[in-house]
Amino acid sequence: MTKAAIDDLEPNDPTRSGPPLSGETGAWLSNNEIEQLCLKAARGAGMSWGLAEEAGFAAAWLARRGMDGPMAVLTQLNHAQGRAWNEICPVVASDQLRPADGNILCPIALGAALCDHGTLLGLGGDQKSLRIGPVSHPVLLLPFLSDLARTCGLNLRLRWSDGTVLLGADGSLLGDVDVIGAETAFEAEISAHVGSVSQDQTAPKVRLVASNTLNGLNSYALKTTVPASEASRAGAGADDNE
Amino acid sequence: MDCASLNPFPEAAAFRRSPSEVMRLERMGCAHPTRLSFLRTLLRRVMDQGWVFDRPVWDVDQAGVGRAVYRAIGPDRTYSLVAFSHDLPDEMRSDRVIATAWDATFTMFDGEPTQDDLDRLQANVPLQEAGRISRKELSLSRANRSVRLFEHVIDRLAAGQQPDADEVEAVGYLMRTTAVYGSGKFGAADLTTIAERPELNAPFQVEMMSVWLTRQFTVDITEHLAHVRGGDRAVRLDPVIKRTLGVGNSTGLGMAPFLVRHPVLLNNWMMAREEALARVRAQSNAQPDRVSGFRKALSDAQENAAKWTSTHPIQVTKLDALRRDLAQLADHTRDWPTTNEPHPWDALWRWAEVELSIEGQEALLSIILEPHGDLIDGLAECMIADEQAAFRLDGSMTVAELMDRLERYYDWALDIDFDQPENAARFWYVSEEKLEPRLGDRFEEDGAALEQPLCIARLAKDLHTELAVQPGETPIAAFLLAHPEHRLMVRRAQVVQRHPYAEVRDNLIAAEMLPIDLMRCKLAFFGASRFDPRSDKWVRISLFQGLPYPSDLCPEGWA
Repeated sequence: MTKAAIDDLEPNDPTRSGPPLSGETGAWLSNNEIEQLCLKAARGAGMSWGLAEEAGFAAAWLARRGMDGPMAVLTQLNHAQGRAWNEICPVVASDQLRPADGNILCPIALGAALCDHGTLLGLGGDQKSLRIGPVSHPVLLLPFLSDLARTCGLNLRLRWSDGTVLLGADGSLLGDVDVIGAETAFEAEISAHVGSVSQDQTAPKVRLVASNTLNGLNSYALKTTVPASEASRAGAGADDNE
Repeated sequence: MDCASLNPFPEAAAFRRSPSEVMRLERMGCAHPTRLSFLRTLLRRVMDQGWVFDRPVWDVDQAGVGRAVYRAIGPDRTYSLVAFSHDLPDEMRSDRVIATAWDATFTMFDGEPTQDDLDRLQANVPLQEAGRISRKELSLSRANRSVRLFEHVIDRLAAGQQPDADEVEAVGYLMRTTAVYGSGKFGAADLTTIAERPELNAPFQVEMMSVWLTRQFTVDITEHLAHVRGGDRAVRLDPVIKRTLGVGNSTGLGMAPFLVRHPVLLNNWMMAREEALARVRAQSNAQPDRVSGFRKALSDAQENAAKWTSTHPIQVTKLDALRRDLAQLADHTRDWPTTNEPHPWDALWRWAEVELSIEGQEALLSIILEPHGDLIDGLAECMIADEQAAFRLDGSMTVAELMDRLERYYDWALDIDFDQPENAARFWYVSEEKLEPRLGDRFEEDGAALEQPLCIARLAKDLHTELAVQPGETPIAAFLLAHPEHRLMVRRAQVVQRHPYAEVRDNLIAAEMLPIDLMRCKLAFFGASRFDPRSDKWVRISLFQGLPYPSDLCPEGWA
């Protein structure tokens, strides 16, 4: 390697990527990277570690199905900045999960709560349907509803004013996926879906994450890190060269 | 696959050691590689299946700069290690994660690379973390020369002589890897890409293959440079000396959090090893061929212990104990087994529990597994983990039930007084510098507010304290709505319930905690030998030392 090339390398910048590939403005991330980056970004944006794991899970689930999970997570993190937990977490009643007084729910918090309650929600049994929302960036609900369908052994229907999505207990996904991807917020209804959901087999994808998304997530993720110091370098180990 | 229901030896369960004995740092820090270690599993597979190895590209110039391709051709698929060899100025050579250049850089390609693939990789692989690879690649790694031995060996070979045996033994490797990144890093293929491939149905098989082919490269590049320097006078490395060289590996703190972050995987590794030990102990007799296999393994272990050196005071003490223990073991087993002794392997184990140090006991574990391949090798396929399947927590569990679980599985944590400074002295964090994991002093350094959630004992205790003031019948789902900060620990506690060996049962932020104990445990599962701590936070080890090379299996590939 030439001296110039070496000088050009910035060892302290974990977000640096390699030589840009022609015509692309972003980076191809593996699903694992998407999950880890979104986890760290969510933590950096103030989520608890356990919920940040849910954010990472959701982003990777969407990306695996060709949807822009990283952008959805970033948009949501921006949206939730400065809001207290009790403004964005759901109040769970027997037939609805709503925000407290006129607020708007975080889809990660709502999705996690739906999965946590699982069979307690009574879907497919006594409970015919659940009202949810308003919730922001609702595409992020899909991964959780898919898990909920699996946990309950039910096919689920998510219906809102402009569309319907079906989620199978086998992980399948069908319906107005593009429409939900464009929604910034909605109120919706979840119910058991009688009948099959045709299998939507998708091979895992590696996703081009746009530079803006990457930069936004990275700047949140960096908030989980501690600035370097001489003491901390010593704390990582030593160097010898025999 | 549900390994438990397929277990052909249910009677072994009674002989299994408990997690409260096994999952302590003091014992994990005495782990030895076994025949279930991942590199051993790899070698068994490639030999049993007759894989073919060769080196179709060797495009390296007189300065040792260029590229090479090593092919591993299996029954269904081919994998290729793409190696880039560099001419690195001495002052740039560093094993630290924050280094930016190396003597050699590598990637494992899924298939056979085209010229275009090689050109693309050449623009990225030498940059390591600063480059990007693609889903066609399965790993990314680099290696640095042992300046001392590398130069010596080239000098000698160039002059038509073999290297000095003492020099070779003192270092033990020509090059050491300083990081091997696996699935899903820097754009590489996700683990799901290879999860269904039978030939990779054990942990870290791609990484082990990569290091094994790298070992071949270290010899090839040395012989190449010796030939450049010595011309016709140069000779090749004596096969006997060559066999004693492994690949060095320098590992810092970054490896330590892995075991804590992957509780299901840790459980499966430990469970497989413990089940293997239990199966051996459960044998009602000791067949003569097994006994002679045991004696051979014991003798090998004694030879290894004699050559194993370290200057770290902790390891020096352990090595003294190990050598003493192995001598005592040899003495004790001279007339073993006595006739009609029921469960002779178990009797031997019980004797060791009384007579040997922990280091010696864990060495014995490895030794008695060695002659029992037919009984235990299948367990290697139970060591992978579907972590996604364990992700979703059960919110219908009540507060009282979770309290009960915590008291049962985290009893070791609940008694710790974290108000005592020595019990909360450290904090794990990630440095802004290349996102390197580090360990800080809570009372001396900044950054504790950014602590990583590796302080499991304290998280468990905090959760227990909070649960204690909640109504017992409250479902955890409702508890988490009010306390999202406990979500991570609730998930872990539920995982441990189904995975008894998932948790390291020690305080990972205690003043006296040794990160090298975590590292030794993980490295032993890889198959690393000659564990040599350089501080409490980083170690040198050797991989594949004494084992064959790809070119030993397929000499025609290097003709």
